[in-house]
Amino acid sequence: MTRYLSLYWLFLTQRLKVLMEYRANFIIGALSTIALQASSILAIWVVMRQVPDLNGWTYDEILLVYGLITLAKSINHMFADNLWTLGRQYIRSGGFDRFLVRPIDPLFHLLADRFCQDGVGNFLVGVALVVKASVALGIQWTLLKALMLVAAVVSGGGIFIALNLLTCVTSFWIVDSVPVTRLVFDNHLFAQYPLTIYPKAINILLTWIVPYGLASFYPASYLLDRSLGNLAWAAPVAAALLLFLGYRFWQFGLKHYGSTGT
Amino acid sequence: MSVIEVENLTKVFKIPQKDPGLGGAIKGLFAPRFQSKTAVDRINFRLDRGEIVGYIGVNGAGKSTTIKMLTGVLMPTGGSIRVLGRDPHRQRIDNAREIGVVFGQRTQLWWDLALIESLNLIARMYDVPPARYKQMLDEFSQTLDLGSLLKVPVRNMSLGQKMRSELAAALIHEPKVVYLDEPTIGLDLIVKERIRDFIKAECGSKGMTVMLTTHDLGDIEQLCRRVIIIDEGRVIYDGPIETIKKKFGKFREITFETTGLVPSLSLPPGCELLSTGDRKVTLRFDRIQTTASQVASAVMKQIEVRDFSLSEPDLANIVKQIYNGALDNGGVEPEAADARPAP
Ligand SMILES: Nc1ncnc2c1ncn2[C@@H]1O[C@H](COP(=O)(O)OP(=O)(O)OP(=O)(O)O)[C@@H](O)[C@H]1O
Ligand SMILES: [Mg+2]
Repeated sequence: MTRYLSLYWLFLTQRLKVLMEYRANFIIGALSTIALQASSILAIWVVMRQVPDLNGWTYDEILLVYGLITLAKSINHMFADNLWTLGRQYIRSGGFDRFLVRPIDPLFHLLADRFCQDGVGNFLVGVALVVKASVALGIQWTLLKALMLVAAVVSGGGIFIALNLLTCVTSFWIVDSVPVTRLVFDNHLFAQYPLTIYPKAINILLTWIVPYGLASFYPASYLLDRSLGNLAWAAPVAAALLLFLGYRFWQFGLKHYGSTGT
Repeated sequence: MSVIEVENLTKVFKIPQKDPGLGGAIKGLFAPRFQSKTAVDRINFRLDRGEIVGYIGVNGAGKSTTIKMLTGVLMPTGGSIRVLGRDPHRQRIDNAREIGVVFGQRTQLWWDLALIESLNLIARMYDVPPARYKQMLDEFSQTLDLGSLLKVPVRNMSLGQKMRSELAAALIHEPKVVYLDEPTIGLDLIVKERIRDFIKAECGSKGMTVMLTTHDLGDIEQLCRRVIIIDEGRVIYDGPIETIKKKFGKFREITFETTGLVPSLSLPPGCELLSTGDRKVTLRFDRIQTTASQVASAVMKQIEVRDFSLSEPDLANIVKQIYNGALDNGGVEPEAADARPAP
């Protein structure tokens, strides 16, 4: 474990050196991330100026939901963005073989191969949104609520990573897994808003099937002392379960690769 | 105990057959049909400590597939492999610690990292002690002339510089077993020489066991005492390079381009017809029995020659001649030779 941590650190610092070389790219990346986020938030603001609340959720409460999903997504973005390119950049080109001749776990190698700096911008936006919402709403922070915040972000990140892993592993079989991943990943857009505004089917989908809601709506409900908030404690369980399934599926894909080599 | 032991090693690829169109794609999804391709067919060999063995064969013979199984990347369909007593696929990570690999056709380095940073990462992955790592860097700076390259990102390197870097990356942890799949591909003669010298010195002095595939018989001649020749996945020769050199080194090939169609030619002794094409004929002659000028003048008397060229026999031809019985009383595994009728 410490070996992997120190290896990750080395991967990260080498990557940062490259980033410093392409400073312009880094700045443009960060700016475009923030511009993108700003336009989404502006959209929420425009809507919320017309209606005082959305199904009983005020502007600042929605910002909290939005901020939480942004934080969870940014974890995935920073640490697991390379999953998207497994098929295109590694398997199809044959570059995946090099992971298999090295004495470290190939999944670790894949993830460590690219720390995605654009995620940092998203993380900062998420932090800003949660702070802003918390101040505006006057949330009374307790130890449990602080714990919930951390649990929501970490398990939310885990849920994002696990679902991406589960879908990206299909690139061991199909030429391009990106559409499959998109199909699942894009559901997180629902979780940018309180789930109560959606029909029942979408609630079930976002809670039990692709549980992005556990990363935003439920923990936000908990922090705001709303009903359904306690379901947020299911987030770590869901994350652990999905990560376990994702890793098993990865191993299955790896086994398939060993017999076909493509 | 041998370092590498391969018994009846077989790899069969199942290639999905696709019918054209959407209907075909959907059918393929539910009732996939496969075509089998036997890339490696019941091969056997053993490599001892310190041996440098050339593994050669024409395109598609099964060389890379064998190397991928030996490195643990691919799982054999049948047979067994032991590398230092381990099963490389089942014990992939333990095996990986002991081996160094160069896949000449693709890089093992991070293309946008400076070489030194790639090497730092690799050394850490293999837990090379820092002091030893420093020694190795100094050593490679000399033997591979890496000194000026350490700060250069791989994407800015020439092919030769890249290959030297690949070798450093593959050997920085001083593996016991080294697989080199076409380490000289696309390089000019000078770089080739340098790389051969390096492999000889580095692997030789440390007693590494090396398996080398190449299409360049020069690599083999300079590095290996033993060669294994495979064709269509089967071993057709396993023995000293000397036998091959003695049998085929005395031959030369001469190709004539003619103005008209080629009639049947009468040839001087020691010379035989290899192939005729449309306005083209290739002969092979024994340099001991005859000379190029004798062959050329004999041919030119019979037909009008537009151009001609002289070459050493290439691998494809050696393989063909082995099938034709050129090695009948030496070296060839009888079962392998029997398995396929001579073409
Ligand atoms: N992953 C794969 N799936 C299906 N067939 C494959 C796969 N890899 C190799 N083959 C087939 O197996 C045979 C042996 O290929 P291999 O790459 O081992 O040849 P090689 O001797 O290395 O050739 P070259 O000199 O061109 O590198 C070829 O017919 C090739 O098309
Ligand atoms: Mg090959």
